[in-house]
Amino acid sequence: MNIKDTAQSIIKSINDGDTLTTVSIGADSFHSDTVKIASVLLNKKLGGIYITTSRPSSHIVAELEGTKADLSDLYFVDLVSMTVGGKTDDPRTLYVESPTMLESILLNISLLERRLKAKKRFVMFDSVNGLSIYSEARVLKEFINVLGNSMRIKEIYSMLMTVKEQTSGELASALQLLSDKVIGE
Amino acid sequence: MAKKDVTKPISLDPRGGRPRDKCVTYIEGIDRILNGGIPIGNITLLAGTVGSGKTTLAMEFLINGAKAGETCCYISVTEPSSKMLSNLQTYGFFDDALVKEGKLNIFDLTVINDRLGVERLDGTYTSKDMEALLGAFEDIVDELGVTRLVIDSITAVCYQLPDKGSIRNFIFRLSQFLSTFGCTTMLISETVVDSNVQTYSIFGVEEAVADGVVLMGNIIRQGDLLRSLQVVKMRGTKHSRARHLIELTPIGLAVVPLLKWGQDGGQAFT
Repeated sequence: MNIKDTAQSIIKSINDGDTLTTVSIGADSFHSDTVKIASVLLNKKLGGIYITTSRPSSHIVAELEGTKADLSDLYFVDLVSMTVGGKTDDPRTLYVESPTMLESILLNISLLERRLKAKKRFVMFDSVNGLSIYSEARVLKEFINVLGNSMRIKEIYSMLMTVKEQTSGELASALQLLSDKVIGE
Repeated sequence: MAKKDVTKPISLDPRGGRPRDKCVTYIEGIDRILNGGIPIGNITLLAGTVGSGKTTLAMEFLINGAKAGETCCYISVTEPSSKMLSNLQTYGFFDDALVKEGKLNIFDLTVINDRLGVERLDGTYTSKDMEALLGAFEDIVDELGVTRLVIDSITAVCYQLPDKGSIRNFIFRLSQFLSTFGCTTMLISETVVDSNVQTYSIFGVEEAVADGVVLMGNIIRQGDLLRSLQVVKMRGTKHSRARHLIELTPIGLAVVPLLKWGQDGGQAFT
C-alpha cells in the first residue's frame, strides 16, 4: 500500500467513526510516511498529539515544517530526547524521563488534550516498536490495551504506528484484537 | 397492587446507605480513587518512604482547599517554616496570596513548643507537655476555623512521646477533637523499607488509630524509580485499593493506574 492509499484509508476510517487504528508501514519509508500522514491530518484541520518513541520530537517538527503543515494545534509527548540528552525546551512538548515510564504517556496525553483547540483530534503513536526496545512483550501488550481503551473513552482518533518487518505475530494479533481497523497489512 | 419500579438503578456500592460528605482534594485522580474525596473530619495517615511525594501531595491538598476558600494549616515538625515557604514557590500551583490572605497558614512546631515552654533537653514530652500541645493544636483549629490540617511529620512528634501507649493516646485525642471540628487531617508518616517490606509507620500504632491509610512508595522499573500510591483504608467511603502511579506535573500531582506487569522491584507492604 502506498502512502496516498494509506492516508486515504485513514481519512475513511475517521469518517467511518473508528477510534483506534493500527497502521502498518514498511521500514524503508516508515519515518517519511508517518510524517506525511500527520501532515495530511493537520491540513484537514485536526488537532493532534504526536507520541514519539523512536526519534526526538525536534526532528519530527523540522520534517513537518518541511511539508508546510500547520503546526499550531499539534503537541508532542517525547520519550527520546531526555534519554539521549537532547533539547528539552520546546513549549509544545512534554518530555518523559525514561521510555520505561509508560504510564507517563497516558498522563501527558491527558494534560495535552486540554490544550487542543480542534474538535476533531488525533493521537499518533510513533511507534509501538520503539517501545518494545525497553519493555517486555507482556508489559507492552498491557500498555497498548490501556492506551487504546483510554483513547476510546476520550473519543480521540488514535493511530498505533507499527513497522511491518519488526512486528511479531503475537504483537500483531494483539493490535488487531484491540483496533477497529488495521491499515497497510 | 402497586407496580414495582423496574427503572430504579441497582446500587453498585456494596455498602448501600447514605454517603458521608466529602472533603474534595481537587488532585487529579485522587478524588476518583476515593469516590469523591476524603470523608470530612477523617484523619488520614499519609505513609511513605523518602522522596515518595508525601509533602507535595499534602501541600497540594492544602493549597487546593485554600483556593476553594477554606482555611488550611500546615504544621512543620521537621524543617523550619521559612524553608517550607521557599520550597512552595517552586510549585506551579502555589499562590503567595493564599498565605497573605490567611487561607494557608504555616506553623513551626519548634516555635509552638517554645511558646508553650514544652521543649525538653532530652526531647521527650511529659504528659503535661502532651496536654499543652494538644491544647495548642485545638486552639489553632478552633480560632482560625481550620478545615484542612497537615502535620508533617507525625513520626517526628511520636519520637518525642515516651511509649506506644502515649502515641496511641495522643493520636486518638487529636483525631477526636479534629473530627468534632470537621477538620480533615493528613498526618505524614515517614516509613522505611526493610527486606523489601514497607510498613505503614515506624511505631506500628499510628495506622490503627487513623481513619485512613494512604501508602506512598517507590517502584523500581528497569532501574528507574516510579512513585506509587495506594489507598489501604479510608473509613466512610468506598475506595479503590489498586496501586497507582503518581507524577508531578505543571498543574500539580496526577495519578494513573499502574501497569500490573510493570514492576520488577516493587515493595511489599505489611
